[in-house]
Amino acid sequence: MIDNGLLVQMLIGALLGVSVYLPLAAGQLSLATPAFYAVGGTLAALLSTRVPALGAGTDGSLQLASFLLELLLGGLLAGGLALLVGRLVLRLQGIYLAIATIALVEIVRVAILNLPFTGGAIGIFGIPQPFPTAAGYLMPALGLLALAGWVCQRLEVMPLGRAMAAVRNDELAAGCMGIDTTRVKLTAFVLSAVLAGSTGALAAHFLNTWNARQGSFDTAVTMLAFVILGGSRSWLGPVVGGLLLTALPELLRPVGDGRLVLFALVILLGPVLFPQGLITPALLERLGRLGERAVASDQGPSGEGKP
Amino acid sequence: MIEALLQTLLNGAATGGVYALVALGYTLVFSVLGVINFALGALFSLGGYLTYLLMGGAISANGALPGWGLPLALPFPLALLLAAALTGLASLVVESVAFAPLRRRNAEPLLYLITSLGAGLALVNLLQMLMGAEGYAFPAGALAGLPAAVVVGGARIRSVQVLLLAVCAAAVLALTLWLEHSRSGRALRAVAEDATTARLLGINSDAMLRLAFLVSGGLAGLGGGLIGVSISLPGPYVGIGYGLKGLAVLVLGGLGSVPGAIAGGLLMGLAEALVPAEASGWRDALAFAILFAVLLLRPNGLLGRRLVEKV
Repeated sequence: MIDNGLLVQMLIGALLGVSVYLPLAAGQLSLATPAFYAVGGTLAALLSTRVPALGAGTDGSLQLASFLLELLLGGLLAGGLALLVGRLVLRLQGIYLAIATIALVEIVRVAILNLPFTGGAIGIFGIPQPFPTAAGYLMPALGLLALAGWVCQRLEVMPLGRAMAAVRNDELAAGCMGIDTTRVKLTAFVLSAVLAGSTGALAAHFLNTWNARQGSFDTAVTMLAFVILGGSRSWLGPVVGGLLLTALPELLRPVGDGRLVLFALVILLGPVLFPQGLITPALLERLGRLGERAVASDQGPSGEGKP
Repeated sequence: MIEALLQTLLNGAATGGVYALVALGYTLVFSVLGVINFALGALFSLGGYLTYLLMGGAISANGALPGWGLPLALPFPLALLLAAALTGLASLVVESVAFAPLRRRNAEPLLYLITSLGAGLALVNLLQMLMGAEGYAFPAGALAGLPAAVVVGGARIRSVQVLLLAVCAAAVLALTLWLEHSRSGRALRAVAEDATTARLLGINSDAMLRLAFLVSGGLAGLGGGLIGVSISLPGPYVGIGYGLKGLAVLVLGGLGSVPGAIAGGLLMGLAEALVPAEASGWRDALAFAILFAVLLLRPNGLLGRRLVEKV
């Protein structure tokens, strides 16, 4: 029931979950991830269909190097945008920040829909594929997730990550301790955007078409649900939440028409049944103790699966 | 020229009135509970579909019961009011599944966001399952007896927009009078001001909360029915767009402010109406661009109260 294509989608879900988690780890409820995902995907779609040097060869396939370059550029563009927008919106707090980021998502969606070169409502199609089958995307997706997980794991011991946790617990107190809270929040916001942008570039190739619907308010909701259902206290939470919730609508396919209603009910009941998410702090502590016992190799996620 | 301008302004005011209804729906719940009910957009859709069904509209070929319709055909005003009341009841159901369980254990506000969105998504997908994904136009003669246009000061304007504006104005007026002068309205404002003190004074704050949800859902349902009859129902997701615009209006006017929601709605509707036709594709972004600008200049909204964090 779970084929390679679905596995890649699940990994993309996990990556987007981590992207929503990063600002939340600094106490900022940002729903901007779909905007950066859409920006990264649009850039990759444009580059590989309009720029001959980065586009498909005569046989219709894409050079692996151009693909990786597009992942990088997608991340950089999204990160640059986040740097500009973040300075403005991160002054806002709580629900105001959430609503401002929803506004950003809508502005980006309408822009992609109306700009003269992004293909309007149909979008950009025939995006060249670097791999002949879906299985080929498993390695880059896993690699990106491994990288994101490694960064998150490193953050837990780095001064920046500590500062993020301090801002999350009490922004005022963190400021009084001499932490530059604006810079910390902005860094988390930009990291989140870079990850979302690269993921968008990957998804654009994987999906073969790209349009404004890829980054909408609905997707923002679903991505936040990845984090809340998985657990927002560790990066493992959004990974688990992203994998499970992306697979769920497909696994529910036998149910027929009612599957989307069931999926929505899972989102509705999740916080009621698991207020701390599936990966709770208690579970993490138990995992940590297991890890101490087997000190051998417990550095982040399984394997450095970079292509 | 004058005629076109008048029509444009009236269109803007009518749409703005609907935005104000949605924003007031958010405001009622926010002022009592301090959280935003993200299921409101879905309730807006529900109101539109209920109005359609109550007027004797039939389910399309892609619905769960193709061709089926209620064995009654109410006139529009009656159908609209009944649909709004039923949507209010649906809003109570949303409260009991998405809000009450979290409230009982004092959960963090973030969780309400997810549960209310989940409830909204469930409702929209349920509508899609029952009614199909395609658009619905209201039965012909929905507004029989109403002339297509009226002449105001020598200018002919579409009367359905006048109707929209009038109903919105009446609803807003009734809501304001109720909040200001009735016993239950004043109790609601007391709970919004300070729930603990209100409870000590013998006000049943849980009942007031449910009342806020009931009225809030009713306002959203009213908006859905009005948009359905004046434009059409493009699909179950119709309310999501209006819900988002309402959110923009809510922040524009300042969270929890009733006059702010009304002024913000009108302002937003008029601003959108003045977007020239060549740039109509960008119209949907305007509300959010304005919101963005306002948030940066006045982080508490145009008429919002200034919140200072106490240490």
